[in-house]
Amino acid sequence: MYVADTTGIDPLEVPELMNVLREVIDRRVNIFGVSEPIIQVERSSFVTENPTERLVVELPGVTDVSEAVAEIGRTPLLEFKLYSQNLEDQQVALESLGSLGSTSVAVVGDVAVDGEEISPDELPFVDTGLTGRYLETAQVTQQGPLNEYAIQISFNNEGKDLFAEITREHVGKQLGIFLDGVLLSAPVINEPIVGGTAVISGDFDLEEAQALSQNLSFGALPLPIELQSTQTIGASLGAGVLDHGIKAGVLGLSLVILFMISWYRLPGLVAGVSLISYITIMMALFQIIPVTLTAAGLAGFVLSLGMAVDANVLVFERMKEEFRNGSSSRAAAQSGFRRAWSAIRDGNITSLLSAIILFWFGTSLVKGFALVFGMGILVSMFSALVITRTLLVALPDVHMEKGGLLSLLLGSGLGSNKAKKKTN
Amino acid sequence: MFAITHRKILLIIAAVVMTTSILLIAILGLKQGIDFTGGSLTEVAYETAPTKEQVEEAVAVMELGGSSVRESIEDSGRSALLIRTKDLNEEQRVQLSSLVTSLGEGGEVTRFTSIGPVIGKELKDKSGWAVFGVVSIIVLYVAFAFAGIGTPVSSWTYGGITILVLIHDVLIPTALMSVLGYTLGVEIDVLFVMALLAVLGYSVNDTIVVFDRVRENLQLNRTEHRSKTTEVGMVKEEITYTLTKPYEEIVGNAVQETLARSINTSLTTIAALCALYFLGGEVTQTFSLILLAGVLAGTYSSICIASPLVVAYAEWKAKKEKKLVEQK
Repeated sequence: MYVADTTGIDPLEVPELMNVLREVIDRRVNIFGVSEPIIQVERSSFVTENPTERLVVELPGVTDVSEAVAEIGRTPLLEFKLYSQNLEDQQVALESLGSLGSTSVAVVGDVAVDGEEISPDELPFVDTGLTGRYLETAQVTQQGPLNEYAIQISFNNEGKDLFAEITREHVGKQLGIFLDGVLLSAPVINEPIVGGTAVISGDFDLEEAQALSQNLSFGALPLPIELQSTQTIGASLGAGVLDHGIKAGVLGLSLVILFMISWYRLPGLVAGVSLISYITIMMALFQIIPVTLTAAGLAGFVLSLGMAVDANVLVFERMKEEFRNGSSSRAAAQSGFRRAWSAIRDGNITSLLSAIILFWFGTSLVKGFALVFGMGILVSMFSALVITRTLLVALPDVHMEKGGLLSLLLGSGLGSNKAKKKTN
Repeated sequence: MFAITHRKILLIIAAVVMTTSILLIAILGLKQGIDFTGGSLTEVAYETAPTKEQVEEAVAVMELGGSSVRESIEDSGRSALLIRTKDLNEEQRVQLSSLVTSLGEGGEVTRFTSIGPVIGKELKDKSGWAVFGVVSIIVLYVAFAFAGIGTPVSSWTYGGITILVLIHDVLIPTALMSVLGYTLGVEIDVLFVMALLAVLGYSVNDTIVVFDRVRENLQLNRTEHRSKTTEVGMVKEEITYTLTKPYEEIVGNAVQETLARSINTSLTTIAALCALYFLGGEVTQTFSLILLAGVLAGTYSSICIASPLVVAYAEWKAKKEKKLVEQK
């Protein structure tokens, strides 16, 4: 998770810049071919004093976080450095290069080192403060007698002034152009350049030149970003949890259905069908709405499953009462739904309201819980009120007094046997 | 109905349980995980694990400030160590993982989580607001849905009691977590907050189902009186109700009639949660335990606290009104 630094930016422009940022990161991530990356812009809500803009990057299948982080954060670092033979300056150059952590330096262009690899220690360059930060555009051009590919860059106003100043003060010296710590070329400054454009030449072929100019353009992130947190879920852990979760889910559901059937008999079976369809609908919704089924989502799912069972239980208990009091099974089912409705309604509405509030206020994890919970409530109401009802009403209509197998199957629970004795 | 006839004892038990829970939480405290404090959590699994002391020494070499090491079992069954440190940057992370994986045979970093202190703080702030919002909306909705319930107590009472019961149901799992933190070093994390939110939803639903039956029984067992008065040219109709049965009997019947539903629903939920506890793996184990405690507390409280409390309140209110009448 990254945090964007939005200081000094018009708040109205922030959302747009964040979207540009998201696109830039998206392109960068896509370059290394991660399957289904999820990149979202998130805003910490108004509750905290200083709203921060966040960028959440999820990369399934990437095992090496440090590599991924390095790739994402890879703004090609373009630097301009002055060649100097002063020993003290060399010392400075050494330190600044050392901090870049570049291990191999390939030298291209017109520096007199004969293309040999040299260690950063030997590079006699000093920082000028001019970097790719001041870059405005980068594009491929051709130049020289051989029409070599090169990249033409132009600076923004600030960079233009800086560039002009450097070139004015150091006429006759070599200006090294470094990309990610690698010296690309070191042209001699012949005259002050005030136009704010420069050409990076090197041994590029067309593809390299294009890739570089793209990287440089993409590299100019609209906002500086800072890595705030990383979370690695090991493949084995993810798979393990999923595996356990499915096992637990299947066993849990079977226990629930078994209990419902043994207690409510035929209606219990109907409840089982209704619960399975509830789960099927939820799974289908998870496919449509991009909810990552995290632990938070799991909590919401378990709870809404409980609510789905509860709605069935409420109806069956009412139905049982009516059936015992002499209504036919179909009439008992109808009035069971009617009379259980107020309890189902109030229970579900309070839950739904809670889910909405949690979604409103919550951090992303709480939001996940609230979303799944809210969806679960709506679907569970549908499954209980439509599926269970339709199936129950479709069952054969019997009266308790008539007895027989169907009556036994419909009269549910221990209580019904007692009642049966009474009516007989 | 036993819950109503023995209401004094039940309410005293509830008060004792709640006080004990509060004391437990206050004295033992809650071990806050990195979700709240910010920091990094690294899980390293081994074929043959080094001792906890070895790892502690190795981590201390890095001079990260405070750190703690806890033994655990990784999800696929290997023995593992959980290392908690301050918020690590990338360099430190690489250093730490190479350091600890070399300690034992087949060392592998199986989990790494790093959370900046800002997120932890935001989570705390927001959780507070969210809970406040949820509680307010529940009181308002219950008061609205039970409006016109009339004698002997107003709909606001039902809303208020729903919240009291809710506090009871949330306190018990929290106290359990506090004990677990003290004895086993279990830390509270986002999952714990999720479990509490689920308990909250469950508790309210349970209480509302019982109160719904009370509402229905009140409507069935009352006679309506309408009286019209003319006041400054406006006709005002007042409806008063007289209950045909004592209030405590009506509430008692409601509890009796919803008893089967309360027990059945919680039994099914408990069955599902047990499956999650035993098969769900280590990650969701604490989560399902907290939910189990919450569901048990929720079922108990909807039967043995909510209804006795509403009867006791009605009784207290009646006494107070009687006194007022006598004074006049």
